[in-house]
Amino acid sequence: MKTFVCIKRVPDTSEAEVKVDASGKDVDSSKFSFDINDADNYAVEEAVLIKEAQGGTVQVVCMGPADADVMIRMALAKGGDSALRIDDPRIDARDPLLSAKALAAAIKGQGEEFDLVLTGCMSNDDGNMATGVALAEELGVPHAAMVKKLEVEEGKIKAHRELEGGIIEVVEVVLPAVVTIQTGINEPRYAPIRGIRQAQKKELKVLKIEDLGLGEDEVSAAASLVEMQGFYIPEVVSTAEIIEGEPEEKGEIMAEKLVKGGLL
Amino acid sequence: MNTEVQSFIQKYDLLGCIQCGRCTGGCPVNTRTDLNVRRIVYDALDEDVLEELANLPEIWDCTACHTCAIRCPKGLKPMEVLVGLRNILVESGVIQPTVRDALESAFREGNPWDKPRAMRSDWMEGLEVKMAEPGVRVENLVFVCCTIAYDPRVQAIARNMVKILNKSGVDYGFLSTDESCCASEIFNLGEIGEDGLFEMMVEDNTEFLNDYDVGRIVALSPHCYDALKNQYPDLKAEVIHYTHLLKELLEEEKLTFDKEFPQKIVYHDPCFLGKQNNVYDEPRYVLSQIPGAEQVEFERNRERSLCCEGGGGRMWAETESHGERLAEIRAQDAKDLGATILAVACPFCVLTLDDAIKAKGFEEEMRVADISELLGELID
Amino acid sequence: MGDILVLAEHRQGELREVSQEMLTKAAELAAELGGSTTAVLLGSGVDSFAETLAGYSDKVLYIDDPLFADYNSEKYQKVLVELINQYKPELLMIGHTTQGVDLAPALAVEMKMPFVADVFDVQVADGKLQPVRQYYQGKVNANFAFKGEAPYLITFREASLEAAEPSKEGQIEKIDSPLKEDIEYRRFVEYLEAEVGDVDITQSEILIAVGRGVKEDKNMAMIEELAEAINADLCGSRAATDAGWLPHDRQVGTSGKTVKPKLYIAIGISGAFQHIAGIKGSKTIVAINRDPDAPIFTVADFAIVDDLFKVVPKMAEKLKELRG
Repeated sequence: MKTFVCIKRVPDTSEAEVKVDASGKDVDSSKFSFDINDADNYAVEEAVLIKEAQGGTVQVVCMGPADADVMIRMALAKGGDSALRIDDPRIDARDPLLSAKALAAAIKGQGEEFDLVLTGCMSNDDGNMATGVALAEELGVPHAAMVKKLEVEEGKIKAHRELEGGIIEVVEVVLPAVVTIQTGINEPRYAPIRGIRQAQKKELKVLKIEDLGLGEDEVSAAASLVEMQGFYIPEVVSTAEIIEGEPEEKGEIMAEKLVKGGLL
Repeated sequence: MNTEVQSFIQKYDLLGCIQCGRCTGGCPVNTRTDLNVRRIVYDALDEDVLEELANLPEIWDCTACHTCAIRCPKGLKPMEVLVGLRNILVESGVIQPTVRDALESAFREGNPWDKPRAMRSDWMEGLEVKMAEPGVRVENLVFVCCTIAYDPRVQAIARNMVKILNKSGVDYGFLSTDESCCASEIFNLGEIGEDGLFEMMVEDNTEFLNDYDVGRIVALSPHCYDALKNQYPDLKAEVIHYTHLLKELLEEEKLTFDKEFPQKIVYHDPCFLGKQNNVYDEPRYVLSQIPGAEQVEFERNRERSLCCEGGGGRMWAETESHGERLAEIRAQDAKDLGATILAVACPFCVLTLDDAIKAKGFEEEMRVADISELLGELID
Repeated sequence: MGDILVLAEHRQGELREVSQEMLTKAAELAAELGGSTTAVLLGSGVDSFAETLAGYSDKVLYIDDPLFADYNSEKYQKVLVELINQYKPELLMIGHTTQGVDLAPALAVEMKMPFVADVFDVQVADGKLQPVRQYYQGKVNANFAFKGEAPYLITFREASLEAAEPSKEGQIEKIDSPLKEDIEYRRFVEYLEAEVGDVDITQSEILIAVGRGVKEDKNMAMIEELAEAINADLCGSRAATDAGWLPHDRQVGTSGKTVKPKLYIAIGISGAFQHIAGIKGSKTIVAINRDPDAPIFTVADFAIVDDLFKVVPKMAEKLKELRG
């Protein structure tokens, strides 16, 4: 099985305060901590599990700056064989269709036929849920999105798609195909530092637009068919009754409201 | 499996063990888990069994208190065998997700709490803090600790130390967000070896700290104190715990108290300060200087102190222990003594004993306070 | 111009509400653009759906063919390409759902359509559509403009608005499927029902939900105490079930269950839209979260902006005391 897995470096904004920067079109990321996108991490594990079960290779593809090398090496340490990093600020990475175009070019540029491309179904920062499926179209192969369980058979896969309400839709897709992976499909392993060091020996090629065989006019912001006009912090319009006091008092006050207000 | 230069047996000198059982006999968690370190040391002689041993859930119950090592008549360190077994799991990559996340976070953000490095100094907000600079002489370089930096309950230790240091007029400096985890718990979690995360962090930290021209490094946590003092062979500076500094300040009368503090204080010896580094008297001296306070002692004090179960990776690893937590036994002991303050000098002890007091419902009668918090209150 | 096509969504014999929600939005937009709305329905044995949709749109175009007995993104894509070329709408709306995300991006690439995903609002300025979406899990909003020519494509977030009452009498037109042959390279196999555990949270009266803020499994004990005090069932966000604190059938949200308890207490949950979508039917929502900007507070009736580790134990204690 020749598998590609596409990963993205994203900030963890679950606790961080997100502020719009001076340009109005980006956020101030100076205090963010970055790591591999959650769903992509599960995709890496899935790719490695497939390799362990079926043999073959796993190539890691990432569009990101040099800071992403650490997480790429981690993916290699877990079982990836080689990596490609697309590092070109001219690419409008915020447009998922252009990201897909660049990723597809990187994969096609490897020359070999592939069997499977895995990627996370959604990124924590942009949340478009679009890159993976667009990538399938760019590569000219079928796909299945939001997969919670993947069974690899001869020449095809059975993908369990997790739908609303927890229902599973089982689809059979002929390989080669693209599958976007949902979190919780497996338990990602730990990559010990020793493994990361050894992974330094594995190939990590850095690519620019020209290396992808693309023109700047195909992937730059000018090529995007949509234009983001500005970020703004939404007003948190809350009609909630705010409970005041010391933290412990708040707990007690709420308890009283629940009981006395007949809310239980 | 590892292709280590030394075999497991050689590395941990397993053949030196005479199976006397003093280790398990003194092991504080032995009463509430299946952990029998003597047995494991014996079983580990068979290399084929190592992987099975590594998968025993009880190896994660060890708190790294070192009682076994202290009691061993042959000078062996049984708990390091457990770390070695943990290492086998770590190398395989298949470890508990919470342990995995702690290790990844330590590597990525310099702390095992999954917090951004950029927020490491947020605890300083609103305080006047002197910052140290590389190459500029500072007498007391303060090493905060990840848990103290990020956990709201124990940020108070750092905040109070700043108050105390400012009041005393002594020369000090704090590190900013460049301070990284001392890796004490990384060692205990088993990410060790020729290319281990622990070794890497020690190397990086040594280089970082050696760039500072210091009189000495003052660690706020006994875990950092122990690591920097005993596991950093190339660290230039002398390392002390903050209670050493406080004793000096009090002896030199750079710190005085004008308030009365009529409380009954019992001091709990943290394993990493007491048992492992023989620092028993300095904290007691500091507490004795509190005007109006009565000091009482636990029966299990000093080298017999009852481990709070905070160390040894216990903050991150799930365990299968049963029965009453040791910290709760400690809380009960404190209550039985009629103590109103359970004084500690370690952030892990603060957290576990705080939980224990809540679990036992003793909040009305007593509270847990780090020594720094007590002094901070007194100089307010 | 100004015509809007809306792809209706259905599954296992039921029309999904997102269809009516999108049509409601489409009607608003079409009115401003001076165009009409058309619901597009692909299925087998779906005459009744066409009738229902006619109450929400000016026109219903539907294909009733065994080829469309079950959803298949590849088949849908082929049909939509034909319909777009034939009807040349200004905008095509597809739900931002597990069906929609499996389809829309591929369609956008094939047809080179300006495309914005997970849109929760669309403004009209100077006769031009301005889709609005969020970044960083709801912390930041962004306005978009389409460059270039129509047709435009958006995936539209579920439950962004309430569907209007059906008031139209849309013209229903059944058309032949442009797709004549089955597709081999992707085929539907079967549905598997969601795991059913001991408790069906969709029927629970009182729910306590946990999220990432609870931090680790060992903290669940504190939550269980609270649950016990008020006889609540436990559920959680995706973070909680992925982490294994609760079994998967306790997950609330778009990929989990939709619940409608009389009391929902969200603890340590930020309120990403995927979760909120699952709790809108709750009568009373109490939210406990340290982050004042947490989106959960926009749907809460009671807001406790504080450290849950300090609030929850006291709350449990007081509840036990008051309830005897």
